[in-house]
Formats: sequence, C-alpha cells, structure tokens
Amino acid sequence: MTSDVDEELWSAVGDPIRRRMLDLLLVDGQGTATSLSEQLPVTRQAVAKHLAVLDRVGLVHGAASGREHRYWVDDAQLARAAEQLASVGSNWDGRLRRIARIAERIERQKQTPKQRTPKQ
Amino acid sequence: MEFGTIEREVRINASPATVFEVITSPEHLKEWWPDEAVLEPTPGAKGELVFGDRSSGNAHVPKLTVVDAVPSRLFSFRWTHPEDEEAREGNSLLVTFELSASDGGTLLRMTESGFREMGWEVAVLEEQYQDHVDGWSHFLPRLVDYAATVEVAS
Repeated sequence: MTSDVDEELWSAVGDPIRRRMLDLLLVDGQGTATSLSEQLPVTRQAVAKHLAVLDRVGLVHGAASGREHRYWVDDAQLARAAEQLASVGSNWDGRLRRIARIAERIERQKQTPKQRTPKQ
Repeated sequence: MEFGTIEREVRINASPATVFEVITSPEHLKEWWPDEAVLEPTPGAKGELVFGDRSSGNAHVPKLTVVDAVPSRLFSFRWTHPEDEEAREGNSLLVTFELSASDGGTLLRMTESGFREMGWEVAVLEEQYQDHVDGWSHFLPRLVDYAATVEVAS
C-alpha cells in the first residue's frame, strides 16, 4: 500500500544518522558500510543496519563489490522524500487565509444572529 | 528570518476566543486544513490529522501532540514525528499560534520550526525549504489585500 511506503520513507529519513549517511553518499557519489562508519560516530554494524533501512525504502541501492556492498543514492526516491518534507512545511498562507475567513464568518454570525432583529 | 523557521502574522476581524476555537476545534480544523481531525486542545493530548479518505486505505494520517493550549491566547503542537516515537525536538515540527487582541480583532502569529533539526542539512531539502520561503513572499501580499477587503466589507 502506498501509505505504508510513505510512512516508511518518512521514518527512514527521520533518523539523523541516516540523513548524514545520505549526505555522505551524495557528496562521495557512493560508499560502503566501512567507508561510511569511518566518517560517522557509529560502528560499521550500525551503519550496515541503517543502510538496510534506506535500501528497503529505495533511498539507496547496493551492489556487491569485492567483500563489501557498495551503495549509492536513488535520486528520484530522494526527491520524493524531499517532496514529502516540503508538503508538510508549506501551504501555511492558504491555511491562515482560511482560518481568517472562518473566524470572521463566525464573528459576523454572532454579531447579527438574525436579520429581523434590529441592530442595537 | 532565521533559517529553519516559517513565521507569519495575520490580523483577523474576529475575537481571540473565536480564532482560538477555529484553530483548535476538529469541526473547524477540517474546514481549513485536513479532511478530518481528531484533537483535544489539552497539553499532552495526542491527536491525528487525516488527509484523504480514510476508508480507501490511501489516507495520510500524521500524528500530532498538543504542547500548549491557553484559550484565547496560545495553541501549539508537534507533528510529523514517526508514528512509533514520542514527539520531541528533533523528530517533529513545532507549530505555534499566538493570539493577541488588536483593535477589536485578533493578531494571529504563526510559526513552524524544526526543519533544521529534522535534517534539512541535506542539500536537496534545503532547496525545497527555499522554495517555501519564495512561496511565502508570493502569498503574503495577497493575504494583506484580502484582509483589507474583509475589513472594508464588515
């Protein structure tokens, strides 16, 4: 289901270490659990687990390279994740405009409850 | 403006009590934001926003946690945290509405912060953020125009 994938994608980028890993992979083009762990305050094993999470949601892809797996970022999927982040932070202007409209409508109704009631 | 925070201010021709009602009650919330809202304006209360049709299985249902709620004064909540985590700084965005009486109406100040903490250090995401800022500058003048029309009309 689409919503499950989205939730997973969301929590995959919700972790600061995983985001730094994406950063490093973007900068270097590619990397292995070993090369990433050398640049991060976590063990190679922890990095490997994080890579598995990123791989599962399609943010990175890996291929066997010698004794290790080499990973790189899936640009399209990263753009999708970025889009999701963007959509939650945006659109406040429209929301505020609607809040104002609704509140003002309610206020007008309070002030003039019925047209046949003469104004005081 | 500090990077990582969206700030907006709007003057509304309605009392702070009415505006508070509009921003906190599920009945009104769904008129200006999600398709459905489950929420109680009590500090610590957990609620959710429903975007889309829940029965279709494709709905997006982010959780939210009320941080503070003072009738006619203040309403703040955290949202967008992973479902299995408690909302806290670093895993969620903090939305704050501050209300103050102004000239027979209400001055509503809205901020949304936490973008930096949520990992906007990724270059691509920073670009997205810049897009929002550009979006705000486009919409704000229109908002002011709109507010003025409402004022003249009432």
